[in-house]
Amino acid sequence: MLNALDKKLLKAVADLEEIPKGSYNIRKNGKLLGREISANIIIDTNKEGTGIVVTIKPGTVNESVHIPVIVSQTGLHDVVYNTFIVGENSDVTIIAGCGIHCGESKSLGHEGIHEFFVGKNAKVKYVEKHIAMGDGTGKRTLNPVTKVFMEEGSHVEMELTQLGGVDEANRLNEANLGTKSSLLVAERVLTDYQQVAVSKNEIVLAGQDSRANFISRSVIKGNSRQDFYATLEANARCFGHIECDAIIMDNGVNETIPALRAHHPDAELTHEASIGKIANDQLMKIMSLGLTYDEAVNWIIQGFLK
Amino acid sequence: MLELKDIKFSVTGADEPNNNVTRTIIDGISFKFKKGKFYAITGPNGSGKTTLAKLIMGINQVTSGSILFDGKNITKQSITDRAQGGIAYSFQNPARFKGITFRDLLVIASGTEDEEKLVEILRRVGICPLDFLDKPVDSKLSGGEIKKVELATTIARNPKLAIYDEPDTGIDLWTIEPMVNLLKKEQEKYNTTTIVVSHNKAFLEAADSLLLIKDGKIAYTGDLEGAEPILKDLSVCGFGEICEGEDNAECFR
Repeated sequence: MLNALDKKLLKAVADLEEIPKGSYNIRKNGKLLGREISANIIIDTNKEGTGIVVTIKPGTVNESVHIPVIVSQTGLHDVVYNTFIVGENSDVTIIAGCGIHCGESKSLGHEGIHEFFVGKNAKVKYVEKHIAMGDGTGKRTLNPVTKVFMEEGSHVEMELTQLGGVDEANRLNEANLGTKSSLLVAERVLTDYQQVAVSKNEIVLAGQDSRANFISRSVIKGNSRQDFYATLEANARCFGHIECDAIIMDNGVNETIPALRAHHPDAELTHEASIGKIANDQLMKIMSLGLTYDEAVNWIIQGFLK
Repeated sequence: MLELKDIKFSVTGADEPNNNVTRTIIDGISFKFKKGKFYAITGPNGSGKTTLAKLIMGINQVTSGSILFDGKNITKQSITDRAQGGIAYSFQNPARFKGITFRDLLVIASGTEDEEKLVEILRRVGICPLDFLDKPVDSKLSGGEIKKVELATTIARNPKLAIYDEPDTGIDLWTIEPMVNLLKKEQEKYNTTTIVVSHNKAFLEAADSLLLIKDGKIAYTGDLEGAEPILKDLSVCGFGEICEGEDNAECFR
């Protein structure tokens, strides 16, 4: 059922060697390739037939669901709407991701629009990897959207990674945090050649004592460009922090614009942002441990994006 | 094992406040360091001590003169070549990273990922607890902690020549003695040629030989006793008259 290319893409986006255990939904070139549900995690096609609804029963603990997408059909722009309903008190891992393989001159891409409704005291870890490969000259685009609605006491961790190969990426992340909920987002993006990546993030701290921490690490190589926007809006007593660091190499261009909006007197919002080359003292240190200049650059970048 | 032959280092232009003015920082230093000995480089601020240490490691390249290491001319070698050849360097202000742990650094410094061997290095350096291994080497580390990381990565190289630039900066007074003992132990056990740049008397006393640098030149070489009159002379404040005035004023420094 899986050919060699599918396996390669699945390995890259979801660390999967084979069909995963537990519940999963694999989408290939806009069509369902395989689905498995468990007693606690149900996957249905949505009413419009444009995506899936993943329903996680309340109290589901230590289960995971894989929903990888692979796109290799030339000229295809796959758009999918997925909804996740995470029941109260559950603790689950959702592994998403999209692998694009471009073998020809026509462009291809994927837009995954994900909505998460996270119930009271539920914990979700969401891991999303984007990768594009292949020798084709067609443009590879990935425009993911994630919208997260968090109820009281819930906790969401999001790992969003795009390491190379994607020509154009327009990302939108939105989150609305309820009372005592907490959100941790770690985004890592590497661009090279003429690639362009834009990441827009709107986080609303709506509930009292909600907490958000957004960490963004960008590496901009070649003639690529990355723009990063992040807004924290506080409407209650809360805590929010944005940390965005960009390393520029070659002729890379970067704009980083963090914004803080406090609409409540007890809001505590902070940000730190930096853009620059790899620091010279870091290179000297690593070279003094026996690595060459190029090896040292690579090593520092890998650590930065880890 | 290490020979400096009339080395000079000067900077021109962009690095200097007055463009195109050449300033000589190291002005013709020649010296032979013997295998397995402990040397302390000292001297007033701005005398060129750190620059001299950096020239040996290749962090800065000499303007003229030559450097021989184990009989081989390494003057044109990069930092990497010198590191691979057996020279290790402890920075005065160690680099801080993002996303890099102490373990990551120790793995490249020692060339092994083996947990037991890494723990053995920690024991050798006297670092505990072991969970220190997975601490990020970032801006959150204290001044003392980052110096320990620096010391450990230098020792983990098992160098023939170890250079420590002001290893006591940011270290509390109680830790200096154990640090001196550690470097002495490394020197004796592994026959490591050791060069310490320091103002600290504890290091000057531990050294077999002292190099006193002043205005980019060697002002004195020999034991501490012989250096003491010069050191005293250098530490006498030349601003007494202006600062203290004629009546009753006192210097509290």
